[in-house]
Amino acid sequence: MKQEEKNFEKHNQFTLTMIPGGFAKKMRTCLLFQAFRFAVINIKMLVVVSKSH
Amino acid sequence: MARLIVMGGGVSGHTAATFARKWLGDEHEVVVVTPNSQWNWIPSNIWVGVGQLAKEDVVFSLAPVYEKAGIDFKQAKAVSIHPHGNKESDKEYITIEYTGQDKEGQTEVIEYDYLINATGPKLNFDATPGLGNGKGHLGEHTVSVCTADHAVHASLELNQIFEKAKKGERQKILVGTGHGMCTCQGAAFEYIFNIEHEANKAGVRDMLDIKWISNESFMGDFGMGGLHMKVGGYVVSSKLFAESLFAERDVPWIIGAHVNKVEAGKVSYELLDGTMGEEEFDFAMLIPPFAGVGLKAYDKEGADITSNIFAPNGFMKVDAKYDAGAYENWKASDWPRTYQNPDHSNMFACGIAFAPPHLISKPASSVNGTPINPTPPRTGMPAGIIGKAVAHSVCDLINKGKEAHLHEASMAEMGAACVASAGKGLTSGTAAAMTVYPVVPDFEKYPGTGRDTDYTFGEIGLAGHWIKHILHHMFIYKAKLKPGWTLIPE
Repeated sequence: MKQEEKNFEKHNQFTLTMIPGGFAKKMRTCLLFQAFRFAVINIKMLVVVSKSH
Repeated sequence: MARLIVMGGGVSGHTAATFARKWLGDEHEVVVVTPNSQWNWIPSNIWVGVGQLAKEDVVFSLAPVYEKAGIDFKQAKAVSIHPHGNKESDKEYITIEYTGQDKEGQTEVIEYDYLINATGPKLNFDATPGLGNGKGHLGEHTVSVCTADHAVHASLELNQIFEKAKKGERQKILVGTGHGMCTCQGAAFEYIFNIEHEANKAGVRDMLDIKWISNESFMGDFGMGGLHMKVGGYVVSSKLFAESLFAERDVPWIIGAHVNKVEAGKVSYELLDGTMGEEEFDFAMLIPPFAGVGLKAYDKEGADITSNIFAPNGFMKVDAKYDAGAYENWKASDWPRTYQNPDHSNMFACGIAFAPPHLISKPASSVNGTPINPTPPRTGMPAGIIGKAVAHSVCDLINKGKEAHLHEASMAEMGAACVASAGKGLTSGTAAAMTVYPVVPDFEKYPGTGRDTDYTFGEIGLAGHWIKHILHHMFIYKAKLKPGWTLIPE
């Protein structure tokens, strides 16, 4: 059984939410993808900061 | 010559004092009164609390920084405000009591022309029996990460739990809020995931039962009534986002909980549906509720006018709409814009020290009538931005005269960035990076979610983790007033 499926079983509270699968978790630590997301998140945060001052 | 006194040297007070010093000429005086000798980058206390950073990594001494900047630093706590002076003089003044600089216990009177109250919160541990020690400090049953010293203590206690787990003793960990009216759920949220991450690293996760307890009526409320964010192309509620994070890590939750008693190894709580419960623990980190620091105010004759200047919770009244009434009447425009006290135009409050007009989250109370709802967060980025705006206003009043336009920084027109890490390694941890715009939802401007979903988003990954590292170094660099510090935004 996959890890996310195991966790759905572990507690009633978990059955109605979403749990990331293997691909989603892999992308969270994929250096190339995260380098791209780093740039995107920074730009978005800078826009939020500039709108707030 | 004008004298500005800033009471408090945290994120908001330090920002206000340092910008005021930069913008005011040498003929004017900036005085900071704060009981602490060190500045603390509080968001990184989380990493101290799991033993990944030392206290020295998150604090630095204020005295040399202020000396270099030309700010008069008084390590003391503010005791009272006298906005009309006294019988002998009309000049406004405050009284302080030293906590350091070899003058502990000595009192002093300081006159002012302008006053900024950035005293932050009193960590009101004693609001919950057993959470405090009865003398206003953290009690013996739980730990805290609210100060660097608390975080060091938490790390030592956590280490003992890990050691017991390594020996095969099953351990119960409880993290969350220690009262029905707490704020700062984000700090507890980040701490529980760091514990879980470190437990995995130490190989003891299977021996730990980790549980979340919170006064939020739903997961992901965060004291902001929740938020809708863009995730993976969808606009989703923070409820789903937060529940997913907990379910992925096998961390169940108790929500809508007012912790009403803490004993050795056990908390008692009341839920929104009125039921009472108990939860046992071997290690518990429970955030205390916040209150004002207990400043008093007196008029010229010495009569107590504290209730004119401060709200019942001890926070200073500013230009907010405090009579908005029921939740249905709440508007974004209720929130203050200039943070000027309505009765005293030379008095401002910023950061946690200003009294919010009402909650941001929908008010809730148990069927027994116990209020159980998160109070509004006013820390981090909003605290810095408000501190800077208030400093700008005071400087303009001094430099341009009393008719100068006041600068505005409404939390209903301001965003905030939040990065909740899990782990500290550059390639091993992840973080939930979130932005919210605006902090206080404006349902007139953004019908539906109350916020701009182009700039309210959340994402989990290494990228957020790297940002957390950068923020740690960048904000400590800025607070030390190193070259180019003004270029770093709040």
